[in-house]
Amino acid sequence: MTDPLLKVENVAVDFRTVAGSVSAVKGVSFEVGRGRTLAVVGESGSGKSVTARVIMSMLAQNAAVGPDCRVWLDGEDISAFSEIEMQAIRGNRISMIFQEPLTSLNPVYRVGEQVAEIIRTHRPMPRAEALKEALRLFEEVQLPDPQARLRQYPHEMSGGQRQRVMIAMALANKPDLLIADEPTTALDVTVQAEILALLKSLQASHGMAVILITHDLTVVERMSDDVVVMRRGEVVERGRTAEVFADPQHAYTRHLLDSEPGGLPGPLDAEAAPLMQAEGVRVAFRLSGGGLLRRRRTELVAVDGVSATVRRGETLGIVGESGSGKTTLGMAMIRLLDADGGAVTFDGRRIDGLSRRQMRPLRPRIQVVFQDPFSSLNPRMIVRQIIEEGLIVNGVGADAAERAEIVGQALDDVQMPRDSMQRFPHEFSGGQRQRLAIARALALRPEFVLLDEPTSALDLSIQAQIIDLLRDLRERRGLSYMFISHDLKVVKALCHSVVVMKEGGVVEAGPTAEVLENPQSGYTRRLVDAAFDVVAA
Amino acid sequence: MAAPPLGAPSAGAEAGGGPGLSYRQLVRRRFLRNRYGVAGLIGCLLVILSAVFADFLSPHAPETKDRSAIYSPPQQVRFLAPEGGIGRPRVLGFREEMDPDTYEISFVPDESTAVALAFFVRGDPWTFLGVEFETRLVGAADGGFVHFLGTDSLGRDVLSRMLAGTRVTLTMGFLVMLASCLIGTVVGVSSGYLGGRFDTAVQRLVEFVKSFPDLPLYLALVAILPRRAEPLTVFVMFAVILVLLRWADLARELRGKVISIRSMEYVRAAVAVGASDRRIVARHIVPNTSSHVIVWATYQLPEVILLESFLSFLGVGVQAPMLSWGVMLNQVRDFQSFAGAPWLLAPVGMIVVSVLAFNAFGDGLRDAMDPHAND
Repeated sequence: MTDPLLKVENVAVDFRTVAGSVSAVKGVSFEVGRGRTLAVVGESGSGKSVTARVIMSMLAQNAAVGPDCRVWLDGEDISAFSEIEMQAIRGNRISMIFQEPLTSLNPVYRVGEQVAEIIRTHRPMPRAEALKEALRLFEEVQLPDPQARLRQYPHEMSGGQRQRVMIAMALANKPDLLIADEPTTALDVTVQAEILALLKSLQASHGMAVILITHDLTVVERMSDDVVVMRRGEVVERGRTAEVFADPQHAYTRHLLDSEPGGLPGPLDAEAAPLMQAEGVRVAFRLSGGGLLRRRRTELVAVDGVSATVRRGETLGIVGESGSGKTTLGMAMIRLLDADGGAVTFDGRRIDGLSRRQMRPLRPRIQVVFQDPFSSLNPRMIVRQIIEEGLIVNGVGADAAERAEIVGQALDDVQMPRDSMQRFPHEFSGGQRQRLAIARALALRPEFVLLDEPTSALDLSIQAQIIDLLRDLRERRGLSYMFISHDLKVVKALCHSVVVMKEGGVVEAGPTAEVLENPQSGYTRRLVDAAFDVVAA
Repeated sequence: MAAPPLGAPSAGAEAGGGPGLSYRQLVRRRFLRNRYGVAGLIGCLLVILSAVFADFLSPHAPETKDRSAIYSPPQQVRFLAPEGGIGRPRVLGFREEMDPDTYEISFVPDESTAVALAFFVRGDPWTFLGVEFETRLVGAADGGFVHFLGTDSLGRDVLSRMLAGTRVTLTMGFLVMLASCLIGTVVGVSSGYLGGRFDTAVQRLVEFVKSFPDLPLYLALVAILPRRAEPLTVFVMFAVILVLLRWADLARELRGKVISIRSMEYVRAAVAVGASDRRIVARHIVPNTSSHVIVWATYQLPEVILLESFLSFLGVGVQAPMLSWGVMLNQVRDFQSFAGAPWLLAPVGMIVVSVLAFNAFGDGLRDAMDPHAND
């Protein structure tokens, strides 16, 4: 690597905010050789995306770049380039793909036009020729039926297809460097595997360098030649990927590598009686469409005849791709949604068909933790009010002092300091907020807790802590969980049995070890491969 | 580099979330950073204070007539003594002179009628919170007349009347704003939260109200009310009609907001712990719409001020002898008084200042409360 393609030196970025200046990146340097893949790995807030934006000089208004910051592209210092000079580089010599392909594409233009526009911006040519070029790119990124895709709008495509279009746009002008900022985070695991495989083959055929920004260590291991580990705006470790994974030098890297979900759920009493049971549950959403005169009502069946049983003390995993109906099933079982058919039994009592008022005495026994800890806590309430609400509503605790004690115990349970009671949710990080959400559920001393992807919005090391916490609480409190997830690694670490769902139905069900080791259907096998092998063969 | 503490599942192990500022502190800091907004806030406070202390600030009672000064132009405060040097501040009376060719009457300052000025003079009595006072901030040292902004056709002091008019205009503004906020919030929140047929019915009503031509309604009001109706009755009716036509906007905006809040996970979590509808609305939904309502309210005030002055100018709003900026402008309807006594337009200056101030304040507040701002 005598002549690196891209070399960044002393990248430092400060953001000016009302609460003072926040330094996001503090002196980061690295280089990428031609045709190589550099993975930049780190947790949220480590400054990896900000560093990428410095390379593209696409920072927010309130950002200030440090004075010693240099970006060398092919021996040329592009950090001093004007906005107009940068325009000739962006999308041409360096291109970038983003996490969310839906918001990166313009919804009012056909995707073919959008790709053609990028081509014509940098290489003037007639429109028809640019469209032909776009078609060739669509074939290259293996979009099914590329001719028809040219005339489609972004909303007509799936997430994976949109990301393929984004990749086609990025490749349009044969860039020397592709920056991929969490390119698969918003996609299903099976789609992620396909996209990563595509990126890898394209890199080989184009001979371009890739900077891959990710938080997923398995992706790093499978995809990259070199790796840079970032933490709080600084590089803590760098080197060949294989070497770093085999022999991590820095404590933080070791900590990250240890955070891969591992271990197995605690033992389960074989005689345990069923606590929560769903039998043939069906949930349909009625949509009305069509014109004013010819009103057409269609039914979207989200869950169709699904049965699942959670025994006392058991953790049941529900897995499947997005849109498979797993969250809908969970919400119908805890009666936050109404089922159209089937029976839900809790502790020997039918609870489907109960009114909201009739459900109220059962609410403390059945609790839920949602996926997104940023929207599950009311921003206008302090932590104490949030956790206390269930106690007030259900008349638990005689007076404010007693309730405060129960809230304090719940905070102890989730290992949060008691003085967080007086603070607002926005003062906490994502992992801390998820702990608070768990504390809210636990304060009522429930028997059954529905966990709706409680770790998927969190960083890996935080995810490991939450999994440990959940395992520990199950044992101490004898809780039963229903754990909804798309990540089979986490399911393996937490669940006794698993139900695999697809398009509203059950594909496979049984003890976790059996299902994972010997999947009976192709769908399950693809999920397992995607979780443990990442890049599709 | 020392290894940071790792693995400990305490709060310290994770990078702390936001800075330790409450939402209110955050809004205050963001607002104070915005100079235009702060200038607006100061302007608003000045306008409000001048309404509250109108009697103290004005040299005369609004109805006091100075029969010796009809259509008198504004008097300039003079600090230079006639014999040279700085003397006691004073104003000069006017002598009428007629142009011998055009017969045009002009007012010429007359040194012989100088009136010395003083602070905290005894003047027309006024009451505040039931207590009677006689002290006024500025006035003639001998208790005579001073007209900093001139007089109208009956010799009443324009400055004093303008300050008194601030009261009625702002009262109207605040009344309409508060009442329409209340109605709009109740209707909007219930429509968004309850949904279904009720929502459909309410939204059709909102559309009906919004499609109503308001000017004919104000004209109809004048026609309905008896000629000798109390000005207070007209004032209240006028406010009621304004409210009836204004709540609809807020109701519609809040409905959309409530629908999106209703599907937030913290609301579903509240359902999961067994909270009642009333609790969910009061504790989760209304507090989260409050910033929207506050911003809407600050934009309403200038609109009502403009509408009041416009309609009172036409003679269909506030009725004399009740005094508002619009009523004062009503006197300038004919072209002659406009040309001959342009100082009667002084309330226009107040309207412009207060509308600009309230709008600037509203803009600043909106930016400060923007939940998507991350700086």
